[in-house]
Amino acid sequence: MNLRHKLLVTLALTAFLSVAAVAWIISSLVRHSFEETNQQRASALIEQFRRDFARQGEDVVHRVETIASGEAATRLALALSHGSPDYGAYLNEVKTIAESQQLDFLEFVDGQGTILSSAQWPAKFGYKDAQSTRSVPREAFLKREELPDGAALGVFAIREVRVGDKPLYVIGGRRLDRNFLARLEPPPGMRTMLYQNLENGFSPKLLINSSGAVGTADPVVSLIQQVQRQSREVTALIHWSPNAADDETVDAIPLTGLDHELLGVLLVADSRRPYAEIRRQIRTAALLGGAVGMVLAVLLSGWAAARVTRPVEQLAQAARQVAAGDWHTQVTITSADELGELAGSFNRMTSELLQQKEQLVQSERVAAWRELARRLAHELKNPLFPLQLTVENLLRARQQSPEQFEEIFKESSATLLAEIANLKTIISRFSEFSRMPQPQLQRVQVNDVVDGVMRLFQAQLSTPERAPIECKLELAEVMPTIAADPELLHRALSNLVLNAMDAMAQGGTLTLRTRRAGEWAVLEVADTGTGLTPEECERLFTPYYTSKAHGTGLGLAIVQSVISDHGGRVSVRSESGRGTTFVIELPINTDKLQAGQVAAATS
Amino acid sequence: MKRTGFLLLAAASLLLAVEAGAATRPHYGGTLHVCLHAAPASLDPNQAEWAGSAALFGLLFDTLVALDDQGQSQPALATAWQAESGNQRWQVALRRGVTFSDGMPLTPDIVAASLRAMNPTWRVFSTGDAVIIERDSPAPDLPAELALPRNSIVKRESGKVLGTGPFVVTQWDAGKKLVVTARNDYWGGRTFLDSIEVEMGKNFHEQMVAFDLGKAQVVEVASEQARRAATEGRRIETSAPDELLALVFEREPQSAADSKQREALALSIDRRLLNSVVLQNGGEPSGGLLPNWMTGYGFLFPVEVNLTRAQQERAEVPETSVWNLGFDANDPIERVLAERIVLNARDAGLRLQLATGASDIKLVRVPLASLDPQVAFTALAAALGVAQPRINGSSLDDLYMAENALLKSQRVIPLLHLRAACAVSKTVRNWGRTRGGLWRLPDVWLAAERP
Repeated sequence: MNLRHKLLVTLALTAFLSVAAVAWIISSLVRHSFEETNQQRASALIEQFRRDFARQGEDVVHRVETIASGEAATRLALALSHGSPDYGAYLNEVKTIAESQQLDFLEFVDGQGTILSSAQWPAKFGYKDAQSTRSVPREAFLKREELPDGAALGVFAIREVRVGDKPLYVIGGRRLDRNFLARLEPPPGMRTMLYQNLENGFSPKLLINSSGAVGTADPVVSLIQQVQRQSREVTALIHWSPNAADDETVDAIPLTGLDHELLGVLLVADSRRPYAEIRRQIRTAALLGGAVGMVLAVLLSGWAAARVTRPVEQLAQAARQVAAGDWHTQVTITSADELGELAGSFNRMTSELLQQKEQLVQSERVAAWRELARRLAHELKNPLFPLQLTVENLLRARQQSPEQFEEIFKESSATLLAEIANLKTIISRFSEFSRMPQPQLQRVQVNDVVDGVMRLFQAQLSTPERAPIECKLELAEVMPTIAADPELLHRALSNLVLNAMDAMAQGGTLTLRTRRAGEWAVLEVADTGTGLTPEECERLFTPYYTSKAHGTGLGLAIVQSVISDHGGRVSVRSESGRGTTFVIELPINTDKLQAGQVAAATS
Repeated sequence: MKRTGFLLLAAASLLLAVEAGAATRPHYGGTLHVCLHAAPASLDPNQAEWAGSAALFGLLFDTLVALDDQGQSQPALATAWQAESGNQRWQVALRRGVTFSDGMPLTPDIVAASLRAMNPTWRVFSTGDAVIIERDSPAPDLPAELALPRNSIVKRESGKVLGTGPFVVTQWDAGKKLVVTARNDYWGGRTFLDSIEVEMGKNFHEQMVAFDLGKAQVVEVASEQARRAATEGRRIETSAPDELLALVFEREPQSAADSKQREALALSIDRRLLNSVVLQNGGEPSGGLLPNWMTGYGFLFPVEVNLTRAQQERAEVPETSVWNLGFDANDPIERVLAERIVLNARDAGLRLQLATGASDIKLVRVPLASLDPQVAFTALAAALGVAQPRINGSSLDDLYMAENALLKSQRVIPLLHLRAACAVSKTVRNWGRTRGGLWRLPDVWLAAERP
């Protein structure tokens, strides 16, 4: 990732995080505000429920009082005071009275608690009702009522009718059911449910709302069970579905009877849909803002990064050009800030580097000439000195011993010719180095070249005039064909073998190895001679440098020149006293061969 | 002066008597409007439901034999009958001059065909002016059986059903309305009424509303409503208790414990309170299947609640079953009855629960089919779905033994015998019904209504 991209990502992330942080803060504030409002609404509804409950109770009380003061109750009370009344006469009448007063429950009960007539359970006449034998509460109360098909909850009231000496109790009530819930009229977004605590544990069918049974009761089971255990108000967030918009905050309010027994649990549910809706809108706005911000951030940061990084990139490009050898590279100074100063510094640096390079080249050239002059002087001085001695010896022999002049002349002529030949050899070497040809590439089997060099030097290695050198070939079984000039390669290898032989004046082992290393063919020439110092290794390939007494210093320079012309590398590793190894790495490069060359090479 | 006064008084009395006689003298004409709860889908005795609508069939059809209020066989379409071969073969002589409503004469062939259609196991054939009926076993009660409404003589032609009754159908809207017109050529003589319009499928409340509005002159009244209707000034006619209310178990007792629970249930039910409170004395508590007025021995079957014994019986059962008690959910009084039975059973420690679907016990109402005790008993057993009782003779002792054996089988717990009641307008004169509850509509005449 380059600097521009880094800058771009940093600026975009900063913009995104800023929007996200603002959205989160707004969302938190909205949630806090919503929950406060929700709490207020829930409290209001609970208060409304209590008022409605009280009003319903008052209504029930009023209706029961109306019945108690009515003709039927009076007639029954009179009959009761005269003895055992005719139950049958009231069997259906009580139901009619209950319906006329819009009551779900109505019973006439005597002082012993015997049911004289029951609207909700007509067949129960003659049976006992425990409630009436207790004190008569003035207010309405919640009561569990047994019915033929199960129990029910109701808001009840009791009134006493006393005509004679025997009291008659009128017990009436309204069922606490979905109709009761429907009358509560909660504000929009809120609803009520009622759990009728008529069985031990939890039973889903006892949970109702204003429409009837609640379809899915599972989410509120634990809430209701908590109220059943603790008999106190509990609030919880209920998840009805995976959709957060269906969540509700539910207040569970215990409903108790005269003996404080838990008869029901009123659930006041406040929908979190508005909050979810607002949160969704905030999220949408934040995402939209974030996206727009991101785009703007990308554009702006791209523009800014471009402004910042363009001079840097120009500098980087100029540096690469300098590294590639273009020392004349200059960058354009577009600003007066730090980047402009940096560009100016770069330009000055390249200018100074160019001057120093020219100076260095000049110095090296002078040094090379000096070295060449020294080497030429050295090389030429050796043959010239015998020439001078021979000529002086001839002059002295002619003056001092004319009789022996002829013989001396012959001997001196031979010497002169030999030294002149030596001079010619030296001159031809220099000439050869100056005329190093370009390689003519063709398909070459490296092992074949190595084998040819070894055969060439086999006789010299085994001559009795020198200490014996053992020659070892460690050639790879499978070596690739490479593109190379076999003549030049042969010459380079020969030079290395000659060097090795020179290094093993006391004898030793010469090892030639080949192997493949990826796309490279590797040749190694190792000797077990005296070895080289690190300093010698460093200067070994410098032209005219030699560590030998009679070398021209051109052998390894030729090797390096040949290998370099093939696109390869040559290196040396040596350990003083244990030998030296030259390593030649040649690219396989057969793709550089032209079709004609390949065909020729193949044939 | 005394003599003159006496003469004047005598003359005035004569004038009043003439006037009164003119008001009570039967006269022809008028249409009687009747409401019924039953809604038969067919008028064919072979297909129709007879319970609750038997009165209709008496308008259109005759039987060979009729039973009087003492249950004695009386001639109807048959003038005489004679048993042969130990009551297995009966020869029935037919009345002459009887015609169907289409004017065609009644023939022995038609009678034989009609009886065969209703009684596939009978061998019935005609011979001369008589009909021969042969049974597989002695049938001493055959005349009483021939008096059953289902054995009415009918002639089937082109999908129509014709009878020899006093009226002929002029309008038939199945299950809703029937209009019949008097036949002038009825063998028993023309009825006073010109026609009768019967509205069917009306519940008791609708019938009472129609009655109070003057749209109907005869309506049925629920047993439990009869007393109140009478106290409100209506003319209420009731029958003898002729409908059995009973609990019928779906299966025979499965074990000794099952038997004890059934015994406990029978002992726990307070029949008198059911009758006096729920049914407003609309019936009579009964421990037997046949009413006491029919057999004279009905009092031998106990009706009193015995909760102590019921609890003892229950205590001998280690674990009780939960029985579903079925009842007619459309009948509110049946619901109250069933609920009361559940409460009574609970007092004995038994567990019953109301059910409108499949049930272990059913609360049923079965009207008596005949005034003949043995025929009625046999028909009751068939209607209750229990095994046909074996009656070893024709005496009441034999009938008692058979009924006692059936009750011992614990398939049925009799509760009450209910009276049928109807409200009759004051303009309807000569109203009467058989002891079995059938209306004697052909004898009715209508008086002019006075303001």
